[in-house]
Amino acid sequence: MAVIFIEIFKLHRRGMPHAVCGGIRWLCAVSDSFLARDYPYQGEFPETIEEYLHHGTMKCIAFNRTGTLLAAGCSNGSCVIWDFETRGLAREFRDKDCTAPITSVSWSRYGHRLLASATDKSLTLWDVSTGEKIARITLQQTPLRASLQPGSPTPSICLACPLSSAPLLVDLNTGSTTVLPVSVSENGNPPAPNPRNKSADGTPPFTPTAATFDKHGDLIYVGNSKGEILIVDSKTIQVHAVIPIPGGTVVKDIVLSRDGQYLLTNSNDRVIRVYKNILPVKGSGEEIRNISNNSNGYGSHYDKLKANGASCLILSCELSDAITKIQWKIPCFSGNGEWIVGASANKGEHRLQIWDQTGRLVKILDGPKEALIDLAWHPVEPTIATVSVTGFVYIWAKEHVENWSAFAPDFVELEENEEYVEREDEFDLNPREEEAEEVVIDENAEIDIETYEKNAVFSDVEDSVDEVVFLPAIPSPDAPDEQPEKCLGSSSKLEDSNHSGSPSSMDAVQNGQAVPQVSSPMEVDNSTAEDPAEGPNSKRKRRLSVKGLELQQSEKGKKPATKNKSNGKSTKSSAKHMESANGKSSAFDDEATEDDEVNIDS
Amino acid sequence: MAAPAADDASASPGYVLRSTLSGHRRAVSTVKFSPDGRLLASASADKLLRVWSSSDLTPVAELAGHGEGVSDLSFSPDGRLLASASDDRTVRIWDLGAGGGARLVKTLTGHTNYAFCVAFSPHGNVLASGSFDETVRVWEVRSGKCLRVLPAHSEPVTAVNFDRDGAMIVSGSYDGLCRVWDSATGHCVKTLIDDESPPVSFAKFSPNGKFVLAATLDSTLKLLLWMGASRGHMSLTAAREGGWKVLTGFGDWDWALVASGLFLIMRLWNFSAGKFLKTYTGHVNTKYCIPAAFSITNGKYIVSGSEDKCVYLWDLQSRKIVQKLEGHTDTVIAVSCHPRENMIASGALDNDKTVKVWVQKEDQ
Repeated sequence: MAVIFIEIFKLHRRGMPHAVCGGIRWLCAVSDSFLARDYPYQGEFPETIEEYLHHGTMKCIAFNRTGTLLAAGCSNGSCVIWDFETRGLAREFRDKDCTAPITSVSWSRYGHRLLASATDKSLTLWDVSTGEKIARITLQQTPLRASLQPGSPTPSICLACPLSSAPLLVDLNTGSTTVLPVSVSENGNPPAPNPRNKSADGTPPFTPTAATFDKHGDLIYVGNSKGEILIVDSKTIQVHAVIPIPGGTVVKDIVLSRDGQYLLTNSNDRVIRVYKNILPVKGSGEEIRNISNNSNGYGSHYDKLKANGASCLILSCELSDAITKIQWKIPCFSGNGEWIVGASANKGEHRLQIWDQTGRLVKILDGPKEALIDLAWHPVEPTIATVSVTGFVYIWAKEHVENWSAFAPDFVELEENEEYVEREDEFDLNPREEEAEEVVIDENAEIDIETYEKNAVFSDVEDSVDEVVFLPAIPSPDAPDEQPEKCLGSSSKLEDSNHSGSPSSMDAVQNGQAVPQVSSPMEVDNSTAEDPAEGPNSKRKRRLSVKGLELQQSEKGKKPATKNKSNGKSTKSSAKHMESANGKSSAFDDEATEDDEVNIDS
Repeated sequence: MAAPAADDASASPGYVLRSTLSGHRRAVSTVKFSPDGRLLASASADKLLRVWSSSDLTPVAELAGHGEGVSDLSFSPDGRLLASASDDRTVRIWDLGAGGGARLVKTLTGHTNYAFCVAFSPHGNVLASGSFDETVRVWEVRSGKCLRVLPAHSEPVTAVNFDRDGAMIVSGSYDGLCRVWDSATGHCVKTLIDDESPPVSFAKFSPNGKFVLAATLDSTLKLLLWMGASRGHMSLTAAREGGWKVLTGFGDWDWALVASGLFLIMRLWNFSAGKFLKTYTGHVNTKYCIPAAFSITNGKYIVSGSEDKCVYLWDLQSRKIVQKLEGHTDTVIAVSCHPRENMIASGALDNDKTVKVWVQKEDQ
């Protein structure tokens, strides 16, 4: 109960009129349901871990523009792309040069390219469709984050935020780098490298600086260690405006919402601040140049920039935890920009807090006891993917409530009891015919079976754009073509079950399949799914089982030999076979008994 | 074999027989053009799939492997893969890809009875199959893993189809229902039900995904709007529609919660006065699952086979029969329209065993 009280207290402190610390009723309903109760959009955010993805040790993730693919960078230097619809591995990017842990991944606007930054100070650009490496560049500093310029469909410019120097614009084709200004002096135009020795903690010349492109890549928002947002023209690298952040502490993160309307900063003072972008989303570069040219008559250059800044961003709300004052990490917007999520930076905590745009806390999500290292909100759905320090990606989604009336139209789910009012003639022996005021169906009305509305969520995309939405699914062939023959073969060898020929061919198949196993490392807790790692194998076995009992018998007879030949592995696969033969889907206890049985047989 | 086009020259699309493809040794069960229009594939009770080039109608491949007759097939959106559903309870994926000819790449097992219908999603990453075991299974194409089993119906599932962006699956069944499913989650979105509920033998989305075209074994094809009926109690009326009712989750029917619980009040949804409903009749279909197709390359038609050995073409809007293609010598159980050209392929049962390709007469 104490926790509940704190919860309410916190809400109250935030000036929320709803958080009336009233009677017991509220106390019971507090926490999640309390938060959701008077919230109109309740349920538009994730509630529970739906699934997790596992492949190597993933370090960072990014959704493509439409949320159909999820890219992840791994600790072994490879990158993978998950098909977010099937939650299956769609592609893996590997190279002998890329072995250092990936620090960030970034999609090009239409999904043709993927940029990965790694701890070996490298930036690697991959072609998503072909899986080929387009470019690889090594920087002076380890880039913590790198993002491709959003303007171009095939960008070669990226924005890299290194560990301890100013953000860079890197041309991946030429390797040329441009250091962005991170501060402006009070009086003069040329930004002095380190104008103020503001505080003692600033021992290195620069602390990590956050930066992000705007929606179309015309501008770059740089958050510096003095607690200012600088708006930099991405072409001329000129600082057009400065917005001082209240508190004036180091900016750790700076993130733009998907639609470009909002910007948030995460500062060292444990406050996430949300700004409304009042520049036009398209043509922001031109607009800010106009503002910049028209603003004269200020005492100093800095004042002028500040005045410019006031016509670019307006602080709309501040998010923090007034009680525990925890540090945030990896804050970001929801796909529609309505929510802001931040992760607790506390050690070993996998906790997300979701606020609305007015700064109200709407949801707290507690995950496993593993520190969270990256997170991404799906561009469309109320779904969040988080990366834990163990390398798993957890997918948080809305809990589904089955709508039974969708199944059975004559079934209506009632929220509470309703008093039934019978119709006048309802229990008459001869009920009157239903009135004939029926709707007349105009079967001749013109209908349109072809045109469809574009998805409004992605209205900013021209039709002509050739976007990589899905990667072609080329199935990994299961057992090779000779399979049917082999079935026959094995059945002919029914008698001499220890014949060396058939088991060795089994081995060949199994070894051949050791590779494709990589393609489905996902451990599915879906009850219907087969063990994916065994996918091809089990499939193959199942097919045999379908063929009929005789074949099962023959396989059984063959089994001991297989076991001797390739030890544990084939034991497993033969067990697999047995279970499929029996038409059930696992139980290791059964395995043993089945094996025993087989030995008796042979 | 000229079609009776001259009778109503203005309305008739004027399709004539171009070619008859023989090769199957038993009834043809389905014909499909590939999405790029390059290929035409047919499946048969003789356990084989045949692939033809749709330009010159020469055989391209013969796919053998199924242990029983094949009931349905579907091309992947890029035309490279072909999925087939068979009475041997498996769904198989064939790679027609460049080099090395066609080969079997995946055998999807799991159905406990005949696999009857199959459909690729428009993104090619997911495959749905319906079976006599009354379920719809959703498979991941890459791994062949079964992602979901939808407890779809209470009778054999006769049709599955994805909408244009792959978000929804429609299924039809002998239980008289069409159901629409969210393909990403496997949740039932809506159930479409008829008053009499004759078995649904076929169902598919219109090209824009807003309508469902369903065939029932009372010789009727119905086009119904399945989406767009706004939710809410406001639009409830005590109206009765002539044909299909679209019933959604929000109290289309009201349970009469009286003691026995058996009294039902029918309160039918009145969506836009039901004006989006069209029925197409005149053909004969009481026994077989005969698919229908939208022909949208030149004029808008509904095309279907019939048990009177003809292919019927209706005008989409007026619902009038505009042409009957005669020539098959048995029930026409399969039709498919070329995605871009004015070309229709049809296949017929055991007495006939051929695939016929119809094109529009030139000079008309």
